[in-house]
Amino acid sequence: MDTLIAALFTGTSRGAIYALVAMGLVLVWRGAGIVNFAQMGQAMFSTYIASTLIMNGYSYWLAFFVAIAAGALLGVFLDLVVMRPLSNKKQTELLSSQSMRSAVPVIASLGILGVLQALAGVIWAAEERGFQAPFAQEGYTIAGRVMPFTSFDLFVVTVVAITLILTVIFFKKTGVGLAMRASALDQEVAKLSGIRTNGVRALSWAISGAASSLAGLLLTPTSNLSPYTLDLALIIGFTAAVVGGLDSLPGSVIGGFILGFVISFVNYYMTPEDIYLAILAVLIFVLVVRPRGILGGKDTRRV
Amino acid sequence: MSSSRPKSIVRKSSIRTALFGLLIFLAARSFEPYNQGQLAVTLILFIGILSIVILTGISGQISLGQGALMAVGGYSTALMIINLEMSLWIAVPLAIVSGGLAGLILGTVAARLSGPYLAGTTLVVALAIPSIANRFGSVFKGDEGLQVDVGYPPEWFVNTFGDPSYEMWQFYVALPFALISLFFASNLLLSRSGRVWRSIRDHEIASALTGVKVSRQKVFVFTISAAFAGLAGALYGLRGSVGPSTYPTSLSLMLLTGAILGGIRSIAGAFIGSVLVVFLPDWIDYAVHSFELSEQVSNYLPALVGGILLILTVVINPAGVAGGNHLHKHK
Repeated sequence: MDTLIAALFTGTSRGAIYALVAMGLVLVWRGAGIVNFAQMGQAMFSTYIASTLIMNGYSYWLAFFVAIAAGALLGVFLDLVVMRPLSNKKQTELLSSQSMRSAVPVIASLGILGVLQALAGVIWAAEERGFQAPFAQEGYTIAGRVMPFTSFDLFVVTVVAITLILTVIFFKKTGVGLAMRASALDQEVAKLSGIRTNGVRALSWAISGAASSLAGLLLTPTSNLSPYTLDLALIIGFTAAVVGGLDSLPGSVIGGFILGFVISFVNYYMTPEDIYLAILAVLIFVLVVRPRGILGGKDTRRV
Repeated sequence: MSSSRPKSIVRKSSIRTALFGLLIFLAARSFEPYNQGQLAVTLILFIGILSIVILTGISGQISLGQGALMAVGGYSTALMIINLEMSLWIAVPLAIVSGGLAGLILGTVAARLSGPYLAGTTLVVALAIPSIANRFGSVFKGDEGLQVDVGYPPEWFVNTFGDPSYEMWQFYVALPFALISLFFASNLLLSRSGRVWRSIRDHEIASALTGVKVSRQKVFVFTISAAFAGLAGALYGLRGSVGPSTYPTSLSLMLLTGAILGGIRSIAGAFIGSVLVVFLPDWIDYAVHSFELSEQVSNYLPALVGGILLILTVVINPAGVAGGNHLHKHK
């Protein structure tokens, strides 16, 4: 019983972070038609910036917001320098096939991931870093038992909930959000009705960069930071996004929490090494049973 | 007409293979042992990159999990050599079968997927497969891995060809397999199967309308490609040990980088790519050794340059160094 409650608590705080990662992936997928495999590389990079600030004596909160801003800027930079030239390329013989057109951005994002990880090695010697968030590390005591749910976990869940609510309001209630939904639906029609689709694209990269940096910041106090630690979060986030439906924002939240619980239960009831196999099992199960995810649209393939 | 055509394909492939074998053999003979060892690795990765050329370049399915398929080949060979005391000349070819079987299973799932879905799923596979080694530690020996190597040349070989250096022997072991792979890949790409796969890549629906059974063909490509990867993995493991660290995720990405840099659509590109991947770190070292960079910088420089080259290739010339048009004569 204790284990069950512990697994539920851990699953909640982890799931909140995975929801954030999945949301970042879904945003770029909707905005630019690209699954950004470099996303957690970007998050790693901005989290390293935060840890450098903290090591140099700046406050946690300054580092926190600087890292999120850096994540947004890096996202826009990557869109302008790599992804936009790529999508504006003339249709060469190689790019004329539909399968290669979807494969090339994937390869570019992997290149970005490689460059960011190597840069982190060059700048920070790839050293393992961790930083404490300014919260008590002891779990809350409920009915005389110490739960594996600290005030930091509460902070995580709150921050993620606020972020998700703000994102939903942004997309439903503001003009820019409407423009983003329109261009996700049909790039060409959006352009014809006067929406600057390039700007919208860059904005999705910015929001996604900020969201994933936030995820990196929230993950680091519980697991040390190195250039490769966040790769696992990317895999989990991708699976969460596919579970929920790659083109659905609410779906990414549902997927994130499902993955959070699955991983936390595997951690408590089996060995941590089974995580990878569990993720693979969940992914394949969803792809076979419901390939478009829980809340996904009918068909995302364009004929 | 129809009877003369297959013959010309086989002849063309044989000439290519013989020419390649001769040139690479002469090159290896003139090299120092260190470079001979590198050339052996180049041949092994050439087979691995061929598996990506066939899968991604020809049939248009992207896979980030070739490293995992290599691991399947490597583990099966190592287990057969250690537990059944098989000769490597039997155990390595059997890796073609084990790799192909793994590809058949993966392909059955993957045939339904495309683009980023396929990329993500194969990436998860690349991470998950090595963790099996720790899960079933009694068989696979966990992180420590299985110790296997190419051993020493048999006596008749030494008597006929002289005593090669250990690195040269590694090269001699890899060479016949690389040549067979080259021959098969060349035949496949020039034959009907190659044309069918290209049609799937270029337009799946149009291809299906001409009577191609797309799903079945996709599973078939996956199996063939995985057989190549399994063979490459078996040879890759024979450099000393087969463990999770022999086949990390970065190996899959390295193969993909090589394939893109060289030219994703051609066999020549696969070879150029494997040369680049193996020799680039040394060339970079040579280029910057006068700058006295700190170890911190020089350790990560090859990865940095590789990544930048990958991005530049994709943005500027996605066809890679070798281009990709000469295979289209048969369109």
